[in-house]
Amino acid sequence: MTPLPLALTMGEPAGIGPEITIAAWRAVRAAGPVFFLIGDPALLPGAPLALIERPEQAADAFPEALPVLPLSLAAPAVPGRLDPRNAPAVIAAIEQAVAFARAGRAGGVVTNPIQKSVLTAAGFPHPGHTEFLGELAGTGVPPVMMLACPGLRVVPVTIHVSLKRAAAELTTAAIVTQGLVVAEALRRDFGIAAPRLVVAGLNPHAGEDGTMGREDIEIVAPAVAALRAQGIAVRGPLPADTLFTPRARATYDCALCMYHDQALIPVKTLDMDGGVNVTLGLSIVRTSPDHGTALDIAGNGLADPGSLIAALRMAADMARHRAEGAAA
Amino acid sequence: MIPRLALVLGDPAGIGPEIMAKLLAEEGNRQKAALLLVADPDELAEGMRIAGVDLPITRVNDPAAVAPGRIALHELRRAAPIPRAQSSAEGGAHAMATLRECLSLAQAGTVDGICFAPLNKASLHMAKMGHPDELHWFAEVLGHKGAHSEFNVLDGLWTCRVTSHVALREVADLITPEKVIGAVALIRDALLQAGIERPRIAVCGLNPHNGDNGAFGREEIEIIGPALEEARRRGLPCEGPYPADTIFLRAQPKADGTRDVDAIVTMYHDQGQIAMKLMGFWRGITVAGGLPVPITTCAHGTGFDIQGKGVARVGALQAAFDLACAMGARRRAAA
Repeated sequence: MTPLPLALTMGEPAGIGPEITIAAWRAVRAAGPVFFLIGDPALLPGAPLALIERPEQAADAFPEALPVLPLSLAAPAVPGRLDPRNAPAVIAAIEQAVAFARAGRAGGVVTNPIQKSVLTAAGFPHPGHTEFLGELAGTGVPPVMMLACPGLRVVPVTIHVSLKRAAAELTTAAIVTQGLVVAEALRRDFGIAAPRLVVAGLNPHAGEDGTMGREDIEIVAPAVAALRAQGIAVRGPLPADTLFTPRARATYDCALCMYHDQALIPVKTLDMDGGVNVTLGLSIVRTSPDHGTALDIAGNGLADPGSLIAALRMAADMARHRAEGAAA
Repeated sequence: MIPRLALVLGDPAGIGPEIMAKLLAEEGNRQKAALLLVADPDELAEGMRIAGVDLPITRVNDPAAVAPGRIALHELRRAAPIPRAQSSAEGGAHAMATLRECLSLAQAGTVDGICFAPLNKASLHMAKMGHPDELHWFAEVLGHKGAHSEFNVLDGLWTCRVTSHVALREVADLITPEKVIGAVALIRDALLQAGIERPRIAVCGLNPHNGDNGAFGREEIEIIGPALEEARRRGLPCEGPYPADTIFLRAQPKADGTRDVDAIVTMYHDQGQIAMKLMGFWRGITVAGGLPVPITTCAHGTGFDIQGKGVARVGALQAAFDLACAMGARRRAAA
């Protein structure tokens, strides 16, 4: 079975999205995975582009040119300069990509970074990509953000909140809900028949028997027990500082972390340029590079396409596992 | 002038005696300092047996009284047999007794620094240490009232933290400008003592993405940023706040081996420890910072699972020993 092409959104047109897109195409044009860009061809002047009308045309064009499904911007994009007039096209690219994936015409959606502030100014009501995708392709569970690099997958259970609020807002239910989504996704999208989860403690040394905070006893441990009761192989709460050594990483498939930096410090320290952001719990496959729009270097050719390439490859792998599971 | 160091085997139940024996079997190490080992001779013999080495020992209480390349052994007998490969009050009590002797030798000016092999926290608690960690116990024994903090060092990168063994939900309220400035000052002094002449210190933010301009947390804007400005006004070299998730990679050595950052000040325990243990669990060292005498040890523990097998790696203890030598030499020169 020929894999479906991946749909790549243009993201913020003033950011590094256009340049890493063409660089990623150059890196994978021979071996794949095949993808097509939904965006304005004017973003890539002089690059070998193949304008297509349908996703089905992407595979034939791919070895020789980057397939682009045109979506015009309202105003010419200038690297580093945000323009709210282009926000509707940025959003439309995401909507089109999701529609193709839902219709079975794209294997998955890979998104270039967006600039939240300019979308918000243009009336975009969602805090970010993940929440928007939850609305477009939700499955009745909250979408879960996973970050992955070679040898490590992590899920921050609380994300963009202050450290103080992360500790105050952590709930057993959030850990359990996300743990279930993660376990299911590891089976379906990553081909891991019996996923092994670990749950990091919130406090130093996982609270050391309650002497440094009681959340690990009162909130985290019950979540681990609830996940285990659902048949999931899970350990925790475990002290976070020793959870990411090479030896520890070999013992699990994904670590549930209690706050943003508990998850992001290990993944970025291990692999700053190759990390991938994956959204679990959607009806479609979705990945993205784990960096931002990098407006400060946009347009001068310095941006590293490594994370986008890793995101494309991971989306292709996930789509393949899904297709195999559906066929079996 | 070479420094005079006091050495301790740590908790004899663990890998301490064998890795200390391995370390001291290197002639080069014995030339770096005048050495005084405070230990039970039987525990030392056991460590030498496991390590398969024989050390040149002279039983005398003064490191200055032995020939270069020999080790002065200050005998301190264990009060009771110590079980192997497990926590025990006996192991904790003996480790504390040997350390107490080192601290008093340092106070008397007999030695310039202390390096010890791993302790076992549970053993120390069973032996009624009465403090959450050995650093606070050292401060009590030394009668030290000033600021002190644990430093972690890995391959030349230092970290210290503004808060340590407290619940995460308490961290934000404990971050004050004076504590941030104090942490920068403390590690600056230690870096100078370690021989880093122009220390470059990076300071972490507290919140994800540094709070993203106040969107999730204002401590960077209201506390940490102004504290660093004030620190610079006081002549303390520091930059930041930096988002914690990317600073550790940026601090790594470049292709030519140089680095842009000598130390990272973190706001809470796991902010620094996750990255440091990920990058080099078996090479990291711990410094009891801010005390009047340099004290170093390995960051790893007593390794009960490999105790007695002679396979324990000596790398972290070697790094701790070298740092104690460097800091001890400057302390001696300044005395």
